[in-house]
Amino acid sequence: MAKQILRASVNDEPIEVLVQPYETLLDALRERLGLTGPKEGCGTGDCGACTVHLDGQPVASCLVLAMQARDRSVRTIEGLAAGTLHPLQDAFVRHGVPQCGFCIPGVLMAAAALLDSNARPSEEEIRYGIAGNLCRCTGYTKMITAITEAAASMQEGARR
Amino acid sequence: MSTMKTTRDVRGVGLSIPRPDGPEKVTGRVQYVADITPKGLLHAKLLRSPHAHARIVRIDVSKARALPGVRAVLTAADIPELKRKAPTRAHAVLAIDRAVFAGQPVAAVAADELAIAEEALDLIEVQYDVLPAAVDPLQSMQPGAPPVADVGTEADTSEALAHSAVALAKGEAPTKAVNVSQTSHVKRGDVAKGFAESDVVIEKTYRVPMVHQGYLEPHAVLAEWDTTGHLTLWASTQGSFNTRTEVADVLGIEENRIKVIPVECGGGFGGKIRALCEPITALLARATGRPVRYVMTRREELEAGMPAPQVIIRLKTGAKRDGTLMALEAETVLESGAFSGTVLAVSAVFLGSLYRWPAFDIKGSEVLTHKPSVAAYRAPVAPQTIFAIDSQMEHLARVLGLDAVEFRARHLSRPGEPMVNNQPWASHGAHEVLARAAAHPLWTERAAWKAGGNGGRLRGTGIALGGWLGGLQPTGATVKLNPDGSLSVLTGQVDIAGTNIALAQIAASAYGVDIEKVKITTGDTDVAPVTGLSAGSKTVYTVGVAVMQAAQDARRQTLEIAAGELEAAVEDLELVDGRVAVRGMPDRGITLTQIGRKGNLYMSKVPPVLGSAHPAFSQQAPAFAAQIARVDVDPDTGEVTLHDFVVVQDVGRAINPLAVEGQMQGGAVQSLGIALTEALTYDDKGRLTNPSLLDYRKLTAADLPNIETIIVEVPSPAGPFGARGVGEPPIVPAPAAIANALEDATGVRLTTCPMTPERIALALVERR
Repeated sequence: MAKQILRASVNDEPIEVLVQPYETLLDALRERLGLTGPKEGCGTGDCGACTVHLDGQPVASCLVLAMQARDRSVRTIEGLAAGTLHPLQDAFVRHGVPQCGFCIPGVLMAAAALLDSNARPSEEEIRYGIAGNLCRCTGYTKMITAITEAAASMQEGARR
Repeated sequence: MSTMKTTRDVRGVGLSIPRPDGPEKVTGRVQYVADITPKGLLHAKLLRSPHAHARIVRIDVSKARALPGVRAVLTAADIPELKRKAPTRAHAVLAIDRAVFAGQPVAAVAADELAIAEEALDLIEVQYDVLPAAVDPLQSMQPGAPPVADVGTEADTSEALAHSAVALAKGEAPTKAVNVSQTSHVKRGDVAKGFAESDVVIEKTYRVPMVHQGYLEPHAVLAEWDTTGHLTLWASTQGSFNTRTEVADVLGIEENRIKVIPVECGGGFGGKIRALCEPITALLARATGRPVRYVMTRREELEAGMPAPQVIIRLKTGAKRDGTLMALEAETVLESGAFSGTVLAVSAVFLGSLYRWPAFDIKGSEVLTHKPSVAAYRAPVAPQTIFAIDSQMEHLARVLGLDAVEFRARHLSRPGEPMVNNQPWASHGAHEVLARAAAHPLWTERAAWKAGGNGGRLRGTGIALGGWLGGLQPTGATVKLNPDGSLSVLTGQVDIAGTNIALAQIAASAYGVDIEKVKITTGDTDVAPVTGLSAGSKTVYTVGVAVMQAAQDARRQTLEIAAGELEAAVEDLELVDGRVAVRGMPDRGITLTQIGRKGNLYMSKVPPVLGSAHPAFSQQAPAFAAQIARVDVDPDTGEVTLHDFVVVQDVGRAINPLAVEGQMQGGAVQSLGIALTEALTYDDKGRLTNPSLLDYRKLTAADLPNIETIIVEVPSPAGPFGARGVGEPPIVPAPAAIANALEDATGVRLTTCPMTPERIALALVERR
């Protein structure tokens, strides 16, 4: 099969790469563009470790073909915040959320998408917002605390 | 007046300090094995047997070898190192002429691209002669069952040694039971007499199926040989030295020819102790002369990882009406899959000696079946054993009309009392933990919770107590003083849970500087002192001692140098704020920076400070956790909602409370997964029926409440600053706590995990 040209915006930069027609967005990001923040935990859309934003919406990038991102905007964990830590990232560090760390990029992208659509989610809304992201180390409690705190600090920041 | 810091109040042990690699992890910059792509990388895939038990008649790889982009195709015939009677999975690199579980590798491919390797697998032709499979462990124990191991294969007990360090006498295997690979038998007193004199005798059989450790990062390894025959492995492992030893043994080469670089490990929980795909990846790299990377798919992980054994415990207990315990009889069956390697002793210790039984008779058997061989999973066999004994104690208390907590406390072994192997229990805080849990509002207000139900849902509260004996392994560490007065700590310890920050805190407090001055590094096997596994809840307990002693050694050297420079006696010196001074004469001092510099100056006569320690250990530190679950149940559907959950745990001394809480919460949720949702299920041909994370159901954030943590500190005599192991106790009690809560809610006792809505609803129907 002939490779195809994928042109898209990734983390606010225009990109142009050759991809296989059967190649997933996750593989294109990781293997062609060197963006290894998104992880493959299952390859079947069940664990959420590969979550990225496609036109602002959270998607399991292992279930999206690379060519489906043509002329669209992709954001990965590497592009969540430029040069500094996003309030979510900062809260995750301070609350000691990451243990093995493998699920963390996906959880953060899911949480960021949640806060984009719902600035002050309830605990239940946060729990459902990251329900597609499996974590085996943390038991989720510190994640919920960190996301709640980040939401509050972002609102505080927006008000200022 | 300024208060001067002494070594007693440096920023170190006891503080909740976030781990320093947090920013790397939240930005996606941390590299796991699958993220590392050297030039010339080849991708590996394994062809796996679709049959649980089959003779391999013929393998034809000619079409696969001819596919453009394929660089190597290996079968057992291409690997001279392969031996029959492989004692472990690692040694059975590829099936020789018989596949013994569905998912066992029979051929391996390395290719330029993953898609080419996948295509090559389709071109390999294997002719199988399918044989009857032993799928059920109880049937597999019977004479005449299809044999799993080749005759003469040795049992593998290394896992038991690494994990629990509790020895038991070997038992007698039933005659002609070809698949019983290990047995144990312990007894004391007259069990028959005990039952005869009992007022109440209860017999139940508890079952917990095979479950997967569930680490998010699948097994992965990258292998490359240099031109002189030295192998480098970038591995996702819980112990790089163990990986080196196992791979060297399988390949038949010296350990000095292998360098294992422990790459960030995306979770292990016991499943990444033993070598698995490292040997075949190394062989593909040798065959091609190129770096080869192998990453398991999730399906392969579930079908052919190294899950926890199925545990079946038949338990018979007798007691007097006043609650006096009389006798316990138990039979534990551990289903080990296709290779030996379970921990038999743990079950006997907790069954027979967590509570004081005047008479007991406990038999254990490890049974082989045609399923993937098992490995450790966080406190191996303890959650399953505590499910049995704690459920039984709770049920006994209910039948006798006694308070369930008081009943446990009355019979709970105290330090110094004999375990089943007649060794005394080491210092532990089980009584303190149970008392703290019993004082928690979730427990004291359980009657109000139960009475407050409405809408037909039944409410209940359950408590359970369990723990871990604590692993031991020799280990080493160095602490050096840098020319700028900072400290560098070096171990080979793989940091998954956040142990490195705790070790750095120990170094800070033991040496006498703030944590900000301490950097800790996990070295590879070429540079680090020999270091044990990240397993057995023993990282802080043992490596922490090595780091503490190395820091004390560095401090002693530092003070000796200062004594020489200041012309004072060591006893008269104090180390305050990065400066050694003569006590009471603050003007007579020398900074750590000056001492560090002198150790690195041309023509200097001051030696560089290099503290080291390499202790071995003999004293375990058991650690206990109690958990309370508050649930309600829909009696029609069996659906359970977990409303509140609390973990009360003795950690000896919380070196880093933030990290300790993370362990308690994560362990508790894994424990709840065993209780409520998780099971690897097999059909009657031995094939896994739920090989995806959609069907192998782990708990999500939406399934759970916040996990409350209460830290209890009963210092251990030998641990650093009194610390005990933290990782394993929290995974132990929840299956029993949930079963106890369900009995409180419904009056029905469940004895099989996971306690799914279907099982609960059926149990309620059966009672009606």
